[in-house]
Amino acid sequence: MAVVLIRLKLALMRRSFTGMRVLGLVLALPGVIATWYFTLFVPDPGIRSDLFALVFAVWAVGWALGPTVANGAGTLRSQYFALLPMDRRRTGALLLVTAFVDVGPALTLVAAAAPVWHGATLSAGAAVVAVPAALLLWISLISLSRLVFRALGAAMHSRLGVEIASVQWGLILALIFFGWMAVQPALAATLELREHGLGEGAAGAVLAALPTSWPVHAVDAAGAGAWGPALGWLAASALTALVLASVTAVLLAPRVGAHGVRRRGRPLGARPLSRPARGLLPDTPLGAVVGKELRQWWRDPWRGLEVRASLWAGLFIGLLSWWSGAFSFLAPFSGVICAFIMVLATANMYGHDGTALWQAVVGQGPGTARADVRGRQIAIWLLSAPVSLALSALFIVFTGEHWTWPYVSTGLAAVFGVGSGLSLLFSVVALSPGVDPQLRVDANDSGDNQVQVWLSLAALPVLTTPAVLAAVFLGLAGAPWAALPVGAANGLLGAWWLGRVAHRRLADRLPETFTRIRYGREVALRSVPERGSLLDRLERTAISGNEETRPQGS
Amino acid sequence: MVNDALPPPEDVPALELVGLTKTFNGTRAADGVTLSVPRGSLLGLVGPNGAGKTTSISMAVGLLRPDSGTARVLGVDMWSDPVAAKRLLGVLPDGLSLPERLTGGELLTYWGGLRGLGRDLVRERAEELLRVLELDGADRRGVLVAEYSTGMRKKIGLATALLHAPRVLVLDEPYEAVDPVSARVLTAILRRFTDGGGTVVVSSHVMALVERLADRVAIIARGRMLADGTLDEVRGPDTALEDTFVRLVGARGIGEEELSWLSS
Repeated sequence: MAVVLIRLKLALMRRSFTGMRVLGLVLALPGVIATWYFTLFVPDPGIRSDLFALVFAVWAVGWALGPTVANGAGTLRSQYFALLPMDRRRTGALLLVTAFVDVGPALTLVAAAAPVWHGATLSAGAAVVAVPAALLLWISLISLSRLVFRALGAAMHSRLGVEIASVQWGLILALIFFGWMAVQPALAATLELREHGLGEGAAGAVLAALPTSWPVHAVDAAGAGAWGPALGWLAASALTALVLASVTAVLLAPRVGAHGVRRRGRPLGARPLSRPARGLLPDTPLGAVVGKELRQWWRDPWRGLEVRASLWAGLFIGLLSWWSGAFSFLAPFSGVICAFIMVLATANMYGHDGTALWQAVVGQGPGTARADVRGRQIAIWLLSAPVSLALSALFIVFTGEHWTWPYVSTGLAAVFGVGSGLSLLFSVVALSPGVDPQLRVDANDSGDNQVQVWLSLAALPVLTTPAVLAAVFLGLAGAPWAALPVGAANGLLGAWWLGRVAHRRLADRLPETFTRIRYGREVALRSVPERGSLLDRLERTAISGNEETRPQGS
Repeated sequence: MVNDALPPPEDVPALELVGLTKTFNGTRAADGVTLSVPRGSLLGLVGPNGAGKTTSISMAVGLLRPDSGTARVLGVDMWSDPVAAKRLLGVLPDGLSLPERLTGGELLTYWGGLRGLGRDLVRERAEELLRVLELDGADRRGVLVAEYSTGMRKKIGLATALLHAPRVLVLDEPYEAVDPVSARVLTAILRRFTDGGGTVVVSSHVMALVERLADRVAIIARGRMLADGTLDEVRGPDTALEDTFVRLVGARGIGEEELSWLSS
């Protein structure tokens, strides 16, 4: 059975050699090189084992986060096998076995084999111990990866789970944002490490205590002739691998319950038709869209994850910069950064809704596309503006950096305006569908949006240039508050103009936009002219650049 | 309540498909599909799996732009005047997503609002539709569309198709996964609709159902329309529609020795 599944996986992989797998290779290959560089060129065995502790901890973090951060469904989805007359746990275990068959795991095995060389330099016995130790380490690393991935998927079925996943994502985003501050110290540390190892500090002790270091301890103990401790560490490693693999196998077992968040009672804001609430929103198509969008943002775990992760990221960035001391002046701008991240997170809204777009197509009235786009813009504002504002206000009060008020206000006005226009424009032009909403299981089943993210990262700063220039020069001139009207005008104009481009494009190409979601890449490419306008070229880039996930999840 | 567009002359068909053609990745899914549905009729569109039913329907209702050909709803061209054509049309697609995190009542309220029907009218109709389709209990409990069963999804989809009181209904596999009691309700709704002068197109691959329900039949296979007319015209000398279907589409029999292991 395992062989059959592995063959199936290899067949599917042959048909979908994706960009994400290439990216994985690009990241894993330097990891292998670095691991073996330390193994071969650090002469002192003590320093070498110190470094193994660090290196394998990094491998573990990479494997834990990599597949979740990357978009795209797992190659073999457990739902495919729900109907097999086989114990669900056994199916889970077999699926775990297939996770070891890929280029990434193969490279990881090469890296995990480094302790064998290390053992061989110590003694023949140590080399023998190192072989099972390396295999156990490998099993633990790959199992951990699937475990984290599926745990996030399982988390999508409870509100608390979604919140925990959002906190994790927020932290990841904040660390990515702050990563650049760590580059120089990390480079300096690498050179230092080669010479001196981790030293006696707390970091070294913590790393040495991690389960990823236990296989190396076993090799070291064997090298020193201490066979008792060697076998002890080996047994501990085996236990770790066993626990990780068993828990993962359980999580990989096909789920047979309902999709989405489990609830008790009526969802917030839902009233039966027989007891209508007084309508706060206008009785127009625009009001209808705003109402629907607010409910969907609040109740859909996949949408919720993106918005909440942006908010948590804003909070963590604020806290990190506040604690960093040198960058504490950045803390008041956490609201602006949060708004920026929210733009990146919401730039694939039509992809998110999947084939539900049919309603806008068959219900098309004279202003449907306009109402749909504007309604979504308003809903994002209503959801995110108060929180971002509160976040910035909080950090200004805490840090006492009251001079930032005018700059933060200008930044928020500009980023919110331009951002909401930009996210709708990308949602229309560069949409990429994920697994259709009613079939979603895993945390990253909503569509891939890497093209939108990269484009937004470039476009948002360019389009908010007037506000930035005004803030800088009017600030230097001693009249920072005078920049606020410029920021507001910049934002309003951006929201209006980009939104207009978006709804006109949508109105012109409603059936084509639906086709993009319903019939996939090949058919969609045929509907976009090869040498068309800027928007056509943008659409072609997104269609070819984003990962393809078919609505059925295959 | 019917839309207040100018009534077209009596002899204009309710729905016309004119030479609809679509090619996907080199495969011709619809090849010059032509069909005329007279007003007040209930037409069953039948065909084997992958015959081009859904592709043809999608092109007729404006979801998929045809490579060539067009469709007209009560004389209004779907591809040159989509807004006017879509106003006359109610559509139930098969297997597509909905705004999943709304309750049935919220979905209909949103849908009516998007179509600009006015809040009070929407509430009145939505309440009645939910009651008739037996979705009112789920609405009171706050069940989200994402939590609906397949049959319930069909029913709420039908409610969205009916809400704006269209003149022509196009329903893709409306009876699939619907329980027998609800199926009777659905049939009664469709009959009332045609009695009031409305026109219905229902796609299905269940011959007996179409024979019982429809007064007209169209048979499609391999992207081509093989026959269309009244039930008697299409059936001709055959006793059952299924025989006609098999004769036109071509059936593959099972030989004596094939699958013999099934009875072992």
